[in-house]
Amino acid sequence: MTGLRSTLGKLVGGSAIEIDGAPAADLSVAPESAEQIATLLDFASEHGLTVLPWGSGRHQGFGGRIDPDVIVSTSRLAGITEWIPDDLTVVLGSGATLGLLHDQIWTRRQSAILPETSPEATIGGVIAAGVSGWKRLRYGPTRDRLLQVKFVTGDGRVVTGGARVVKNVTGYDLPRLLTGSFGSLGIITSVCLKLWPVPEALATVATDDPDRALAVTHRPQAVLETPDGVSVYLAGTAAEVEAQAAAVGGEVTAGHSWPDQPAGECVVCIRVTPVDVALVVTSLTAHSFVAAHGVGEVVVAVDPSEIEGLRERAEAGGGAVVVERAPQAVYEEIDPWGTPPATIDLQRRIKAAFDPLNVLVAGRLPGNL
Amino acid sequence: MGLSNALVSELASIVGAEAVKSGDLDRHLYSKDAGVIRGEVSVVVLPRTARQVASIVRTAVAHGLAVVPRGAGTGLTGGAVPEGPAILLVTTRMDQVDVDAANRTAWVGPGVINLDLSNQTASLGIHFAPDPSSQAACTIGGNVANNSGGPHCLAEGSTVNHVLAVEFVTAGGEIVVAGSGAPDPPGLDVRGVMVGSEGTLGIITRILVKLIPNPPAIRTLLIAFPEVRGAAATVTDVIASGVVPAALEMMDQPLIRAVENFVHADLPVDAAVVLLAEVVGHEAGVDVEAELIERIATDHGAFQLRRAADADERELLWKARKSSFGAIAQIAPDYYLHDTVIPRTKLVEVLEQIYQIAERRNLVVLNTIHAGDGNLHPLFAFDASDPEAVTQVNQAADEIVEISIAAGGVLSGEHGIGQEKRDLMHLVFSPVDLDAQARLRDAFDPEATMNPKKILPAGARCFDFGRPIPEGAWL
Ligand SMILES: Cc1cc2nc3c(=O)[nH]c(=O)nc-3n(C[C@H](O)[C@H](O)[C@H](O)COP(=O)(O)OP(=O)(O)OC[C@H]3O[C@@H](n4cnc5c(N)ncnc54)[C@H](O)[C@@H]3O)c2cc1C
Repeated sequence: MTGLRSTLGKLVGGSAIEIDGAPAADLSVAPESAEQIATLLDFASEHGLTVLPWGSGRHQGFGGRIDPDVIVSTSRLAGITEWIPDDLTVVLGSGATLGLLHDQIWTRRQSAILPETSPEATIGGVIAAGVSGWKRLRYGPTRDRLLQVKFVTGDGRVVTGGARVVKNVTGYDLPRLLTGSFGSLGIITSVCLKLWPVPEALATVATDDPDRALAVTHRPQAVLETPDGVSVYLAGTAAEVEAQAAAVGGEVTAGHSWPDQPAGECVVCIRVTPVDVALVVTSLTAHSFVAAHGVGEVVVAVDPSEIEGLRERAEAGGGAVVVERAPQAVYEEIDPWGTPPATIDLQRRIKAAFDPLNVLVAGRLPGNL
Repeated sequence: MGLSNALVSELASIVGAEAVKSGDLDRHLYSKDAGVIRGEVSVVVLPRTARQVASIVRTAVAHGLAVVPRGAGTGLTGGAVPEGPAILLVTTRMDQVDVDAANRTAWVGPGVINLDLSNQTASLGIHFAPDPSSQAACTIGGNVANNSGGPHCLAEGSTVNHVLAVEFVTAGGEIVVAGSGAPDPPGLDVRGVMVGSEGTLGIITRILVKLIPNPPAIRTLLIAFPEVRGAAATVTDVIASGVVPAALEMMDQPLIRAVENFVHADLPVDAAVVLLAEVVGHEAGVDVEAELIERIATDHGAFQLRRAADADERELLWKARKSSFGAIAQIAPDYYLHDTVIPRTKLVEVLEQIYQIAERRNLVVLNTIHAGDGNLHPLFAFDASDPEAVTQVNQAADEIVEISIAAGGVLSGEHGIGQEKRDLMHLVFSPVDLDAQARLRDAFDPEATMNPKKILPAGARCFDFGRPIPEGAWL
């Protein structure tokens, strides 16, 4: 491996790095450009090396375990390239953190509506994992805000999909395809996101009836339930927020404060249709959880032995139970995704179209893809 | 070219004889969409079920024919127009609607008319957000295939944001479902790629759409400006203020005048441009937002503010906006409608260039613009029997694409690529980018059975010198 190591080191113009929390690999590198990553992946394809892209590690608990030869960190692709506030768009490197982006665009009260409680996560990781913030009830999932994506395919081609405009039907929707692809199709190097202006007034109202809260408010940002109760997250003009808070009727707090992720070693996301959320919540007894009413997402800390039962019920209603993080042993016992999707054959061909030699995260996606 | 009798009877055995049309008149009627390109149709089939669609696809494959899906044929890019021997599969009889009010979703057939769905769900207080101007005629299958937009897509996004799952027939004749009523189904987002794929990746046979609550209160404003600059600045400042209106549309003077003659809505015909803005939401908020917009507009020189007093007046204003195409007929027999997108901040300079192009080429241009998202629709009114006019219009079209791209924009914001803009794709994508898209298409449809020769130019798959795949490798 020493020869390979120094060759790869030369290819990316730097030496090996250490990454906290990453699986053991022969080599970890932090390239400075998409072109360097292309050279590296081309080399990996030629020599049959397996590659794991790495952002902050925040979402590496999803999917099948990877035993990589090379880890490619995006930590040197971490800048905000261009922010045009009046267009409500921003272009940034995939290694840029949500915290960095937030701090910059908040100066003009703009938001990319990304997960609220993981400032250390990288934008590349969030896109690759396809995770969304709680405000998706109002703004839709993260994939609805990815306007353009630049990525390097498994065989080392630098590809751009989408464009830097907020509305676009020019060509196939590669940004959506890359969202939630977990590095299986390519390593994302930069993205352009659509931003939203942050409304003037924000308030959080306590309630005990989430269905009623959804009925008496118009397009709230979120209705979240935890073991401590239900909160309705309102936003808009001051007058509108005040009137809606009164309609909900509970205790009002100015601003939004978001619940922490459930505490526990093994955390899963139960994904069901919106009406099934209440049912799921009823079935959770002594659990730490956050349930998104109106959306269909319940993130919950479980004992691994509960997963199969929860999964059976969720899948029967067209949903899924997805492992977000768990001790290593759990992955050996339980499929982190559940039953593979109906389009699995198609997905296999799509993967092969972008990563013909299967060097990128083989086995991470559902169906051991 | 017609089909052999054997094939016609094979298709008839799948869908019934009355649902197969192979006469000259029918083949001619279906040989064009609402755009300018005419093609040739071998035979027209109108299936009712996904299984029939699957059988038709297998029959087509067996006979080496392409399948071109078509909804209402209101597309503007020749997307539903065959460019070679093909079975034209028309979905208008696939019009089943199954509403799940509690989840605010519905499974709909691809042939359901856009407006019919929202009318059907009106009593439940929910609607399908995408509202193309053609919504009284176009199908939801066509909306999904083109990822269509409409004035109200500013706040709510285009069709793709409202599609949770699609059932489709693959090139192999299989029926599969991608997506789910539950969020983020595991695996690659095949649903997301199907939307906007213009019939080239499969034939959509059912769609799970999201329905959103009807707003409790609406305010609709018509604001007149003496110059484009003030209107454009108003758009930017309104959005920067934290208010994202449900719609923010711009119409220029030539269009206002044409429309006023047509609908008599008392439009300000002296304005250089008008903005049609709509804010929706809670009753307590809409007046505050409307006042904010009016204040910003006044600061930027607006000389007339009109707020629709009631639902009737609101409808009249929207009728004015949506009947642009009818209004054009008074000016000239034909029109060519463009669709490009630019970054919103480039609006003033690009519009200025469009006027210069029209003047130089002696053309009548009218502009209706989804100003909130920089989506331009310059429209040339002309007489297609005048060859010189046709040449000028086509050359102006290319110039508009060029200036849009030079401003950082793209070929299309909502109408799609189809045949019309296929050969312009290299203007926005590199050969490597196009190759990646071609690989994606091949993964779905290696034999190019599904609506071939659309979206991607010939030779897009040009990078076949990649690493050789060893024998027995993973696929
Ligand atoms: C007056 C007028 C106004 C318009 N206004 C707007 C507007 O505001 N916004 C906008 O976005 N568009 C607009 N359009 C364009 C057009 O109406 C839309 O593109 C519409 O979505 C097309 O729907 P359709 O049913 O007519 O599809 P068709 O024209 O029949 O087909 C369009 C494309 O979809 C494919 N297709 C159709 N059905 C299926 C299926 N079941 N599976 C797979 N592929 C399929 C076809 O092959 C074709 O490529 C307008 C058009 C006109 C004539």
